[in-house]
Amino acid sequence: MLILLAGIFGIHIIGIIILLVATIDNVWWMTDEISTDVWARWIQTQGVWNLTDLPTGSHYPQDYLQAVQASSVLACIFSILGIFVFVAQLFTLEKGQRFTISGAFQLLACLCIMIAAAIYTDRFHLDEKNGWYGHCFILAWIAFSLTFISSIIYFVLRKKTA
Amino acid sequence: MLTFVALASVLLLGIVPEQTEAIAIYTGWERHALLGSDIRLSCSFFSWRFTSDDVTFSWTYRPDGSRDSISAYVDNKGPFRDRVEFVGNPSKRDGSILIKNLDYNDNGTFTCDAKNPPDIVGRPSSVRLLVFETVPIQAGVITGAIIGVVLGLLVLIVVIYYLMRFLVARRVFSLSVSKHGKKKREGSQARQGPVPTADPTKVKAASSEKKKQESRKDKK
Repeated sequence: MLILLAGIFGIHIIGIIILLVATIDNVWWMTDEISTDVWARWIQTQGVWNLTDLPTGSHYPQDYLQAVQASSVLACIFSILGIFVFVAQLFTLEKGQRFTISGAFQLLACLCIMIAAAIYTDRFHLDEKNGWYGHCFILAWIAFSLTFISSIIYFVLRKKTA
Repeated sequence: MLTFVALASVLLLGIVPEQTEAIAIYTGWERHALLGSDIRLSCSFFSWRFTSDDVTFSWTYRPDGSRDSISAYVDNKGPFRDRVEFVGNPSKRDGSILIKNLDYNDNGTFTCDAKNPPDIVGRPSSVRLLVFETVPIQAGVITGAIIGVVLGLLVLIVVIYYLMRFLVARRVFSLSVSKHGKKKREGSQARQGPVPTADPTKVKAASSEKKKQESRKDKK
């Protein structure tokens, strides 16, 4: 019983950490000399990495970028709120009831990170051949599946002991 | 050597009080404007002294990429001929200028300097003017708006949920005390009308209260 609780808690915490790394680190798309993302761009000139602003223009839509920023930040917020709600529900829920509110928060976080990753996949770097997706992009999709699994667990789980 | 030290200390003592009484000038940091529109560049200052009658504002302009500045509105010559107008009120510490019909050549840095005698030492402040064909979306406005709206909706839903629970609990509670205290509560005004129907609802309320107490004992 305690192992199950620790496992569920662990999945949620790992989900939060992955979401935070994907949001904060600027590595959604990489080439040999740039590493770019939703907040800023790192450009390597003569062996030194410099932080610069993201390009503005028709090939880099600003409004979609801000939508990606907003929904990835919202996903982090919902997941962090969800862990606190889960701990609160552990102590206040009656026997036999489900952790619906925690599951709802995780589902919201899953939805938000899916929106962010989907917009980024569909609208950015469509024509660029030399480059690959960085670890933040992959972590965003992994966080989507982790939070989805976590929310399903919360919706199914019932409180056993008072 | 001693005279040098004495001279230096006198100079320092002379400069330091002036710096604590320096005038502080405020302008914007960066202004965005549309091509062909008018823009008002504001300039104000803070000074420990009262606003004197000889307060003066002076604006200089330095184009982007150039190294020398020109005066902006004092002489009616140069690129701002007939386009710039002083619209401020010096007695109210407002030294704003209005530039009409902006062009791409007006991109540059405008520096405002104000003098409020005897307070004339200070650092002039600069505002950068950027002229666009279409004003771009400022960084972070949409982001902040989306986050704020979603979180606001969440807080609203939680507040409404708890408010509904609180109101429903109050109605039940006020039914059972209307027999004893006859205290007038806002929510129970409508319920106190028909007296004969109060009894079965009171019984229901009392029984639901008992059930709640029983379930609480069960939990413990």
